[in-house]
Amino acid sequence: MSRVMGFLTRRKGGTGWDWTDVFTFVWLGSAVFIMFGPALWLVMSSFKSPAQLSEFPPTLLPYEAQVVTVEGYDRPLPLFSVTDEAGTRTLAEVRRVGTVAQMVDPENPTEVQRINIANRTPVREVGFSWGNYLDPFLRFDFLTYTKNSIFVTGVATLITLLTNSMAAFALSKYEFRGRGFVVVLIIATLMIPLSVILVPLYSIVSGVGLINSLWGVILPTVATPTGVFLLRQYMLTIPDELLEAARMDHASEWQIYWRIVLPLTAPALAVLAIFSVVWRWNDFLWPLIVLSRQEVYTLQVGLNAYAGELNVQWHYLLAMTVITMIPVVLVFIFLQRFITAGIAGTGLK
Amino acid sequence: MTGVKEVLGAVVAAPLGWLARLLDTPLRLWQRLAGQNGMVAFFLLPNMAIFTVFVLLPLVINIAYSMTTGAALFLPERTYVGAAQFERLLRCTDYTDLMTCQEDQFWIALRNTGTFVVLQVTLLIVAATITALILNRALRALSFWRAVFFFPVLLSPVVVGLIWRWILDRNGVLNAALVGMGMDPVNWLLERNYAFSAAIGVTIWAHLGFFALILLAGLQAIPRDLYEAAEMDGTKPARVFWRITLPLLMPNMLVVIVLALIRAVQVFDEAYVLTGGGPGTATLFLTQYIYEVGFASLLKNPGLAAAASILMGGVLIVLTLLQLALGRKNERKGKLK
Amino acid sequence: MGRIQLHDIRKSFGAVDVLKGIDLTVDEGELVVFVGPSGCGKSTLLRMIAGLDQPTAGRIEIDGTDVTPRSAADRGLAMVFQSYALYPHMTVRANMAFGLQNTRMPKAEIDTRIAEAARMLEIEPLLERRPGQLSGGQRQRVAIGRAIVRRPTAFLLDEPLSNLDAELRVSMRAELSALHDRLGATMIHVTHDQVEAMTMADRIVVLRAGKVEQVDTPLNLFNRPANLFVAGFIGAPGMNLWAGQAKGGSVQLDNGAMLPLPVGLAVPDGAVTLGIRPQHLRPQAGGPLQAKVRLIEALGPESVVHADMGAGNGLLAVLPGQPDLARGAVIELGYDPQSVHVFGADGQRLG
Ligand SMILES: Nc1ncnc2c1ncn2[C@@H]1O[C@H](COP(=O)(O)OP(=O)(O)OP(=O)(O)O)[C@@H](O)[C@H]1O
Ligand SMILES: [Mg+2]
Repeated sequence: MSRVMGFLTRRKGGTGWDWTDVFTFVWLGSAVFIMFGPALWLVMSSFKSPAQLSEFPPTLLPYEAQVVTVEGYDRPLPLFSVTDEAGTRTLAEVRRVGTVAQMVDPENPTEVQRINIANRTPVREVGFSWGNYLDPFLRFDFLTYTKNSIFVTGVATLITLLTNSMAAFALSKYEFRGRGFVVVLIIATLMIPLSVILVPLYSIVSGVGLINSLWGVILPTVATPTGVFLLRQYMLTIPDELLEAARMDHASEWQIYWRIVLPLTAPALAVLAIFSVVWRWNDFLWPLIVLSRQEVYTLQVGLNAYAGELNVQWHYLLAMTVITMIPVVLVFIFLQRFITAGIAGTGLK
Repeated sequence: MTGVKEVLGAVVAAPLGWLARLLDTPLRLWQRLAGQNGMVAFFLLPNMAIFTVFVLLPLVINIAYSMTTGAALFLPERTYVGAAQFERLLRCTDYTDLMTCQEDQFWIALRNTGTFVVLQVTLLIVAATITALILNRALRALSFWRAVFFFPVLLSPVVVGLIWRWILDRNGVLNAALVGMGMDPVNWLLERNYAFSAAIGVTIWAHLGFFALILLAGLQAIPRDLYEAAEMDGTKPARVFWRITLPLLMPNMLVVIVLALIRAVQVFDEAYVLTGGGPGTATLFLTQYIYEVGFASLLKNPGLAAAASILMGGVLIVLTLLQLALGRKNERKGKLK
Repeated sequence: MGRIQLHDIRKSFGAVDVLKGIDLTVDEGELVVFVGPSGCGKSTLLRMIAGLDQPTAGRIEIDGTDVTPRSAADRGLAMVFQSYALYPHMTVRANMAFGLQNTRMPKAEIDTRIAEAARMLEIEPLLERRPGQLSGGQRQRVAIGRAIVRRPTAFLLDEPLSNLDAELRVSMRAELSALHDRLGATMIHVTHDQVEAMTMADRIVVLRAGKVEQVDTPLNLFNRPANLFVAGFIGAPGMNLWAGQAKGGSVQLDNGAMLPLPVGLAVPDGAVTLGIRPQHLRPQAGGPLQAKVRLIEALGPESVVHADMGAGNGLLAVLPGQPDLARGAVIELGYDPQSVHVFGADGQRLG
């Protein structure tokens, strides 16, 4: 505890309070709140029932109304805490008519009391509406969306790693005519965003018959100039003598690629793999254009469609947003070091 | 940690290794037949084929596309109209009043994007710089604080949009807090100026960590002894900031600004999920305009969308060249040192 | 097995001619050393033999077969690189096995060969380590082991010892020689350390600027250098070379000294260069050479004397023991005329 206090009250230079110290505290303090708060709020809300979600002001934690099974009634009855002239007690609601509710004491189920609803509050305790998570999978198409997203992310990442590393290998370890041209071409297109070529790309993808196909989402994204560039820079640092030693060792060029160069490029491949997974999982605009049938939606497109409905079912939507967030959060927790190093080193995102 | 890494590595490598071995014999044969150049072709082919079809070709087609009209999807079936699409985009009877423009939506999107770029990039850079400076103060638990700011960067734009849509909802938690403090609730996403500010705020929230990280790397690269020398000279902290930190951070800062500009010009997904371009056209940005004209609206006009995207591409190319030039300059400086 | 013949090998990188027509025969089981100054094309020539580069012109034969169009893998040679080029992600064992697996050799056979090589090179305890966990000398052994297990027709070694410290280099030199005797295989060894060349080689090939200057046994090179370049390059400290005019059985230097030539050697009158190894000079009162001592390097058993003879002619002498000389003293030296080398105006040896 004293360590925590020591940490919290650490100041610049150790003596006196500079205004910059105050500012640092305010900035970092609000950052924790503003950066983590929204996501936490999302998670909390995703466990609330529809009734609770429409409450204003909202409660911090998800609650569930308490129910009891009372003798003589088939279904469980909701419990209320009642405060009136007769004192405070806990009753179960049988039926409600206008502003008056008919209630019974669970201990004494035969006597029905009439209570003004202004005099009572529901009894509830913290509880999670797991149905928010289960229903979309069981009753709607979210299982399909999830499968589609996993397929797109996995396949696109594999193809990206394979094709990019092969191209980077050729561009870094062989001398051939036109090499400089290809390298310049790749660097020149590094920054061309998808949004500039949307229309013609759509016509090409539809020309090869990939509209409403997951492959139509995957293929345009896998030949990333960024990946080729990153891997080539890394491969340039592998000494040529290693390749020559392998050639003397009867290795074919293909073997040199996958037995020597690929393993040695592992750190760069890992960075590219992480980024590729995040990119492809998060892709939105292009899938939105290519995919127009429910059964091929990815999670992002599915979520958007769901959020665009006239009557948004927030309890499902929030839960599915959390599901969509999970892989990225896992990547973040376990691989943060890799990612921050990758960004600081390459300016890649 | 190494254990996990190795197990993972083995799991991924085993099937791939099997595949690679399978290809071994045919490729040896190919190498004999076609020699080393044949192998180079083999290594380049998959990537370059995909790259050509899905990046280069569209770039070229785009220009042809923008000079055609009609609803047909494939270029040969479209009618050539020359520069008519550009004219339609840019023609206004009175340039002081956007409503007199033939494509008033384009002009609105242009104006919104322009305003957005200026405000968002300014605020983003200021916030990122402050954050980087604070993180650079030799904090304890730096990796924790870095994580705090970086966390939203990886979230998908759709998730970001939905998180904030939920918070800014009329009955959302932000209004609850306002009411709790005795203020009136605000219709965040249904009033023009609030919605626009929300789009700016949310995109800053999502990207702050990325830019702060790059700036932090720049700050950490400034040699410590410079500060120590300044301290020996009794230089005031403010002066140290203006005369040492800022000038030395400048090369990084310029790259970051251009990068932020490039991103801001293309703003789409977070804002689209958050506001859908509304209320009205208050948050209609260029990319959304292209998307709607090209794909979503009832009266699709792909030629017009292509023309608009070429105009946007022009801006981006200028920014990209600027960035490459800046990067080149930094590299040279780095070498000189 | 292992006879390598080069016929008029030429190599140009763009407009630069690096090798200018090399003819050479390396006999079976021979250890041949390429020496020459840095940049003379030793590595280039070796890589050509290995098949890592193609000559611009010329023919390479191994055991009588023309292998010029063959790739490196199909020539049956093994190479040890200056940087060792061990695969950093593989264990020592995997490094040695890699080349054998590529030829689809049965696993049992691979294991025996590795065990045998490891025993020979005393690297058995290191087999499961990675190159990063080895010292320089150990890496060197592994690199050699990787070549040995292949049982190649010939070994090609490009400055394999230059990354080692002086002491290790001497012991590895001896080991390499012993290994050559044991294996009896053809070896081509590149170095620019002439002591290495002298001690190891059956024959030395002296290269300069892409040309072969002389090919001979180490002692023949030392005793009968074919030209001025070889004379100056082989032997340490370097041979004294003085320009002068030959006249009737002796040579007059620019400073006026008259030096006698070997008896029975017919030297036409005119400009020649006279060469005497520093070891062949000895103190002799009234000797033909007089010089002023500039610097003395006392090594203990012998002393290297740097001196000036005037008219810009320097003199180097290796004198036995620790002669009592001071800087500035004038010494008089003589020599056995039979130990003198004479080179004509074209730089070629006379006689
Ligand atoms: N790929 C190349 N392109 C152009 N010139 C080259 C190339 N490889 C070598 N050279 C040139 O050929 C000449 C011979 O090089 P080489 O490596 O054979 O020298 P070396 O005798 O091995 O020298 P060292 O003792 O320093 O290793 C050098 O002048 C070098 O600059
Ligand atoms: Mg060399």
